[in-house]
Amino acid sequence: MHPEKTISSDFEPKVIAFVCTWCTYAGADLAGTSRMQYPSNVRVLKFPCTGRIDPVFILKAFQQGADGVLVSGCHPGDCHYIAGNFHARRRFAAFRKLLEFVGVDLQRLQFSWVSAAEGGKWVEVVTELTEKVRAMGPMMEFKELALEEQWSGAMISPELQDAYRQI
Amino acid sequence: MINTIDISHYGTVAESIRIEAARILGEGLVTAVVAYTAGRRAGSVQPAIITSAAEAERLTFTAASVNNLAVYLTKAKKDIPRSGRIGIVVKGCDLKALVGLMGESQLQREQLYLIGIPCAGVLASTVRPAEPLTAGNLAPKCRECDAQLPEGCDYVPEIDLPLPTPLESTYAAEIARLEGLTPAERWAYWKEQFAKCIKCYACRQVCPFCFCEQCLCDRNKPQMVDTTPRPAGNTAWHIVRAMHLAGRCAGCAECERVCPMDIPLNLLNRKMAKELKELFDYEAGFAVNEKGPLTMFMEKDDQSFIK
Ligand code: SF4
Ligand code: SF4
Repeated sequence: MHPEKTISSDFEPKVIAFVCTWCTYAGADLAGTSRMQYPSNVRVLKFPCTGRIDPVFILKAFQQGADGVLVSGCHPGDCHYIAGNFHARRRFAAFRKLLEFVGVDLQRLQFSWVSAAEGGKWVEVVTELTEKVRAMGPMMEFKELALEEQWSGAMISPELQDAYRQI
Repeated sequence: MINTIDISHYGTVAESIRIEAARILGEGLVTAVVAYTAGRRAGSVQPAIITSAAEAERLTFTAASVNNLAVYLTKAKKDIPRSGRIGIVVKGCDLKALVGLMGESQLQREQLYLIGIPCAGVLASTVRPAEPLTAGNLAPKCRECDAQLPEGCDYVPEIDLPLPTPLESTYAAEIARLEGLTPAERWAYWKEQFAKCIKCYACRQVCPFCFCEQCLCDRNKPQMVDTTPRPAGNTAWHIVRAMHLAGRCAGCAECERVCPMDIPLNLLNRKMAKELKELFDYEAGFAVNEKGPLTMFMEKDDQSFIK
């Protein structure tokens, strides 16, 4: 006998944070060691630099079920590799325009500069994004695509409809 | 038909190409010429690489000369640029692609002998290659073309008629329409478009800038993009493709032309071009730049979207 599964209606968003190891990761660490509270919805992924964060990672995060994504690194001028964050800034300025154009709600994608000393700002950024995404509900677009990987369902062309009728 | 576009000079242009190609091959200035030869049907052409002056008489140029020949100098025929200096026939858009490739150190100017075409436009589709060129069957990219006369070529045939004035851009109109929709409506539109993709990668094969030895989208350790021609993988492929071409794309629209599923690929390219113009004042042109808009930065770049 299987006990009736209780479906919780409380939506807990999944937020993925791509951070650089030198500033934001240290900032998040500071928030932790200072015993500041922030939502446990955020999963932190550490990179050497924001310049290493490929836009495709963001896509992958959404496909794997993220409801919100944060990209965070050192303030301009503070990059451990001198200019990684400047390059990232341009790349993401362009990438978010592309995502917006294909229909992704940019409210779910946040960028920030959080230094190693800004534990408070980390808490603020993460809390704000989590609450925003919680209010928006789950990100369904990419999840639906992943589901449709199994079966396309939509029979939009006459050829497909024809083939279907013949089965 | 109404709005016929005057391409009466293409005959002269073709003759000039034949003479120039024969000359540079005969004088040993180049080892090969990449150009168009007549296809089997009237008006149709196909790309060809000739290596002797005698072959030059086969060359032609018509409104069906749609191909961007720049692709033959990167991955398609890698050994060609290595064989010596190469002559190549370029329309304005094709030249922008070559210029981009020079900026990315894929080609050197001295390796090339550029035969520029004073171009009044080409057909959108080569199904009826002999059809007179009109505003109706003109390739959408040609409507808004600002590069009809390629600059900085080694040879451009002289013509004595003015080139047509640009028409209203159909891409800009469609981009504006999509921008006016809600994100959900845009998603629905692109979902339907991307769903059609069969992952034949014709768009990648034809693009002069897709010259990577191994495409990120083919790699499986780790796999970033699903390789199946299914909704998730298709969407990721199209987003990644548009992103990798942003700031590099020359706007030749070859990707859109070759797509067997009629996916409006160049719409994404044009949108990115528009954004890069607004953000970083960058446009593909005839001047070789060592750095593209996404491989350089300025301290004052906009960061209003970053907290
Ligand atoms: S992306 Fe398309 S339009 Fe741009 S250069 Fe490549 S083939 Fe041409
Ligand atoms: S040419 Fe069209 S169908 Fe083929 S991979 Fe490109 S977008 Fe998909």
